[in-house]
Amino acid sequence: MTLARFVRKNAFRNKRRSILTLLSISFSLLLLTVMMTIWRAFYMSDGTSESAERLIIRHRVSLGQFLPIAYRERIRSVPGVKNVVNQTWFGGQYKDDKPENFFAQFGTDPNEIFDVQRDFHIPQDQLEAWKKDRAGCVVDAELAKKHGWKIGDRLNIKGTIFPFDLELTIRGMFTAATPTETVYFNNTYVDEGYPKMKGFVGFFGVLADSPESVPQVAKAIDAMFRNSDRPTKSESEKAFNLDWIAMLGNVKGFILSICGAVVFATLLVSANTMAMSIRERTREVALLKTLGFTRATVLALFMGEAVSLAALGGLVGALAGSVLVYGMARSPQMGLFLTGVTINAPTMLVAVLVAATVGVVSSIVPAFNASRGNIVEGLRHIG
Amino acid sequence: MSTAMALNTATETKVVQARNVSKVFQRDAFQVKALDDVSLEIATAEFLALMGPSGSGKTTLLNMIAAIDRPSSGELLVLGQNVFRLSDGQSARWRNQHIGYVFQTFNLIPVLTAFENVELPLLLTKLSARERRDHVMTALKLVGLEERVHHLPKQLSGGQEQRVAIARAIVSDPTVLLADEPTGDLDGRSATEILEILKRLNQDYHKTIVMVTHDPHAASYAHLTRHLEKGMLLPA
Repeated sequence: MTLARFVRKNAFRNKRRSILTLLSISFSLLLLTVMMTIWRAFYMSDGTSESAERLIIRHRVSLGQFLPIAYRERIRSVPGVKNVVNQTWFGGQYKDDKPENFFAQFGTDPNEIFDVQRDFHIPQDQLEAWKKDRAGCVVDAELAKKHGWKIGDRLNIKGTIFPFDLELTIRGMFTAATPTETVYFNNTYVDEGYPKMKGFVGFFGVLADSPESVPQVAKAIDAMFRNSDRPTKSESEKAFNLDWIAMLGNVKGFILSICGAVVFATLLVSANTMAMSIRERTREVALLKTLGFTRATVLALFMGEAVSLAALGGLVGALAGSVLVYGMARSPQMGLFLTGVTINAPTMLVAVLVAATVGVVSSIVPAFNASRGNIVEGLRHIG
Repeated sequence: MSTAMALNTATETKVVQARNVSKVFQRDAFQVKALDDVSLEIATAEFLALMGPSGSGKTTLLNMIAAIDRPSSGELLVLGQNVFRLSDGQSARWRNQHIGYVFQTFNLIPVLTAFENVELPLLLTKLSARERRDHVMTALKLVGLEERVHHLPKQLSGGQEQRVAIARAIVSDPTVLLADEPTGDLDGRSATEILEILKRLNQDYHKTIVMVTHDPHAASYAHLTRHLEKGMLLPA
């Protein structure tokens, strides 16, 4: 036997209580892991290197206001701009309003979309086929796989924002670093299907010549349209995505408050278990000290118990969290928000470290008191 | 010559030297005198029985010899060492090396097997796993429990549990074995077995044994019996 084995045996001496405590910690850490993953996906992910070179140009007031297509060539003339493509959110309904049938549809220019979205890949022949078919579309390969679509299949999308329906033919499938759940079709379809939209687009995607030039390009574009009747707001693709998230409300505050509550609840559960467990063993502590265990060793034994139990709970929670995030990322109910999100090793490590820290904090007071306890009193203890 | 120097010259033959040891407990507003001016010497390889009614101070004296309790006044040397001058950590290590303690209620750790319970004091030493195993098996053989090494305390009888406790007390080969009512929770047959083991440890292995007991039959196994009453040691 080693002291580590002794710690392990003590940690699981009351199996029911230990397992319930472990499950409580696991569940809390599962929530924490999911929240940390969402935080990382929303606020810490830099996306692909190509994403860092992209900007989104939209109406200064809101995304619901459109921009003239004529802006496209003026934007192209701004120093540092390599490519510009227009995009319009169609927001139609495929089959029904069930979440699993929801995906993004954008009207765009087939000639330039893949010059801006350079981290998307499509076979050249499929791209050429799309360019030749004004009613054609290209779909995310993962989305096609999910719905069982093949090239040549018809895709009927009912208009909800625009008063007409799309009848598209799949001409190609593109792949991206993370699934996009997106269908691109020729924006001419929108121009012709809803003449009021002719000459207007939702926003522009811009590819700058380097990530460093993105702020200057954004400033120059906004300055160019400042005094027009449709001023622009230019921002990096990441900032644009964060704007979308901000539309959900104070997501940061929400995530932080859940994380705080989870850690506090875990702390209480762990502290209660350790206090109970140590109190029950008052006599044993006195015995250990009689056998020659020092205060420091007794302290280390009890803290070791708490830390190992909490860290194990953290690991189980992180593993369960990764399964949950995997499911959430593929859940139609989550829409596009967690598409492609996974738990990475540092997040799991942080979860285990948080759990271990909770173990330390929750056990330090009862373990310290036990280590300082009077041996004679302890040996007399009944209970 | 100071008292301490006088005491030191005699340490080679005396395991315990107590001079005018008193212990006063504070119980709320009251003071309780557990030991009153006790002077006692215990020679090497002695088997001493301490008798007396409940509350007479027997266990308090035993605890002081084990350095788990401190006298309020007086001087107590154990193996020539004034253990009360040691720090907490030093006295714990000293206890681990020199003292074996057997309790009335066995005090085995319920989640550990007999082997692991006996091995417990050795976890604090620098012995290798193999050396620890040899020591544990020797101790368990000595108490006749080599066949029960993997049994948990709940799978053992009271007598067997106490034998495991004795094995644990002797596994680090201490000089002094302290037994606090070691037969108090046992039936007559088991009690005799335990007393025979203690007697053998004293006779064959020259362990100095101090045993607290109420039982005159148990005390008859000792070389010498001393009585405590109201904290005072009665004349031999």
